[in-house]
Amino acid sequence: MNPFVRIDGESGRITVTVPVPDTGQGVRTAVAMMVAEELKVPVESLAIEQAEGDPETYGSQISANSNTMQRLHEPIRTAAATVRHQLIKAAAQRWQVAEDECRAGRGFVQHGEDRLSYRELAGEAAQLTPSDVVLTPRDEWQVLGNPAIKRVDQAAIVTGKLAYAIDQPADLVAVVARPPWIGATPARFDATDVRDAEVVQLAGGFAVLAKDTYTALKGRENLATTWEGGAPDADSDEWLAELEAALPEGKTPPGDFVEKIYVTPMLAHAPMEPPTATASVTGDEVTLWVPTQAPDRVRKLLEEDFGTVRVVPTRAGGAFGRKFEVDFVLEAVQLARHTGRTVKVLWTRDDDMRHDSYRPLSVHRIRATVNDEGLPTWRDHAVSTWPLSAVLEVTSNPQIMKMMANKYPYDVDGELHFAILPPPIRTGFWRSVYAGQSVYVEEMFLSELDMAHNQVERRLRLLTDQRVRKTLEAAAEAHDGEPQAVACHQNYGSVVAVIAETTQDGRTKITAAVDVGPALHPSGVRQQVEGAIMDAVSTAQGARITVRQGKVVQKSFGDYPWARIGDTPEITVVVVASDAPVGGLGELAYPAAAAALGFLSQGKQNSDSR
Amino acid sequence: MHRLHINGEIHDVEADPDTPLLWVLRDHLGLTGTKYGCGVGACGACTSIVDGQAFRPCEHPVASMREQDVLTIEGIADHPVQQAWLDEDVAQCGYCQPGQIMATIALLAKHPDPTDEDIDEALRNNVCRCGSYPRIRKAVKLAAERMRAEA
Repeated sequence: MNPFVRIDGESGRITVTVPVPDTGQGVRTAVAMMVAEELKVPVESLAIEQAEGDPETYGSQISANSNTMQRLHEPIRTAAATVRHQLIKAAAQRWQVAEDECRAGRGFVQHGEDRLSYRELAGEAAQLTPSDVVLTPRDEWQVLGNPAIKRVDQAAIVTGKLAYAIDQPADLVAVVARPPWIGATPARFDATDVRDAEVVQLAGGFAVLAKDTYTALKGRENLATTWEGGAPDADSDEWLAELEAALPEGKTPPGDFVEKIYVTPMLAHAPMEPPTATASVTGDEVTLWVPTQAPDRVRKLLEEDFGTVRVVPTRAGGAFGRKFEVDFVLEAVQLARHTGRTVKVLWTRDDDMRHDSYRPLSVHRIRATVNDEGLPTWRDHAVSTWPLSAVLEVTSNPQIMKMMANKYPYDVDGELHFAILPPPIRTGFWRSVYAGQSVYVEEMFLSELDMAHNQVERRLRLLTDQRVRKTLEAAAEAHDGEPQAVACHQNYGSVVAVIAETTQDGRTKITAAVDVGPALHPSGVRQQVEGAIMDAVSTAQGARITVRQGKVVQKSFGDYPWARIGDTPEITVVVVASDAPVGGLGELAYPAAAAALGFLSQGKQNSDSR
Repeated sequence: MHRLHINGEIHDVEADPDTPLLWVLRDHLGLTGTKYGCGVGACGACTSIVDGQAFRPCEHPVASMREQDVLTIEGIADHPVQQAWLDEDVAQCGYCQPGQIMATIALLAKHPDPTDEDIDEALRNNVCRCGSYPRIRKAVKLAAERMRAEA
């Protein structure tokens, strides 16, 4: 009946088409909830389909920058409410009664004792244009905002039946021998010892293709390769020194000031499902089954090379920015074209960890004048880093970054200054992008300026924004204990405040209050905040990527110490009631949680070394 | 030819003897609920159960399997652990969860009333990159409680 909702006239089944891929952020559930709300049917009665890459029909289909809900909630709810009005109009016409005497609910339109099912009305309804479309007001919501509604795919997940990108069938599986040091390019290979596999030289490596994964992996092990160029001596300590030396001038305050230097490390995305993509090419046509965060962009990109492009988004076992990149997708396309077969490219964990697009290394210098009460009255923040991503050129522009990264919520005058050096390694968007670095550093600095006084009260004295104040107060009220570490973050149309503490007996407690406007999918809201906190646990306890002798040192979860269940703090998430418009959330909580937990663990280290 | 006992069925598989059981399950037998995450036993995504113990098929060549009983997520149905996972709305991307569930089933067979320390130890090498750990812990406890009540 429209691109997002259709009702089958035979079976009565209502199908929802979700325009944005689900990489674990829960968009399928949130979209289904919107449609269920407006059509007055249970979420579990809906069939849920994933839209192929088709920006002409769906507009932007990207899952990035925490804006999916902000972008989709009006169009999807309007599409579903339009169908409801069409059904009511069709029923009213049959009965020759006024539309406002009819009600839709539970799959029927009713008028007094009469009722007609959506199935019976679907055909007529599709021909009608509703005179008026009214969205269900928030105080009448049954489904949206209902914390009991669970993720639509849980049953498929717990039975192992949910198919991810890696589960896509293919004629051939390819693994790629990747550069042994950064920037090396493939020269030649000797496949004498490779059995039952074909070797194809690519721009960035040597692909080994076989009928099954292990034969391809073994072929790669037995392949002799020669490489040239690149930076076999690259070392991330040297990169750090170069960044330190390039810190921009910034401004010097009049009189006395406090100055501190911070470093944020490189980070890998490390989604549980490493990059993988499957492609099939026939003549001028390409079909892709990919766990991409941007099916529309992938389609546009490939339309430069192919007459017909089908991009089928699969479920992704996590993405976190990694699957915004197209490198692994293009490998599959090239190999499918070369072999004429359906090819699945699989990155091993080692490939993923050592050849990722990393969160850039950054050096920060903060200066502030401080009043008698230990509060900053003027600040200056200089950053030396690399572009956040090669995908978006604006991230290499210091003037634009200066504006984008300025998310300081407190009333202290100041500026950011960026020096952005050419990246010696590939960089890419990592959860919270610039805020993961700038907000983290500024909150750490604010905490360290005065460790004697209450961190909540200090911040409240610097805050005039009522929404941030209210969120911080909600966190303070909910936190049962001492507010030893505190941080706030306002971004994506939402606000978070985080309070953390180490208890006497050594447990970590963390409370996060979020104001996302109406929490459309409350269980999903909590999951996003819990997940962001766990990311902060990981980075606070030292997960980082380093480079020695041209190689990324870390190669798997054994040496990239991402948080384990035993590292989980006691987490309380408070969803603040709010009249603000729908805000974004996926990346909101990480910077504040990282700052709060970072400050705590620094305190721990200090007391351990004493 | 390798004879395997998987989920109560016998499978005879032709594969290179070095092939890790993980790829035999996934590529030869189509049991794709067992996930690849690292290939070196560091992430737990492929956790299955062999002779009642949590087991990493990515670390064991098919030739090393001595007709032991292998249980994968496909061999589990309507289990209280799965139900607890549903009730706590645990999963985000869900990729690690078959492994988390299998590790939990093995844990609860040994420790029907696990302490937090038991849970931390049993699931220590099951990484969840989405950070669903707080819900996993609740679900483990819920499942344990229900299983004790049934027993």
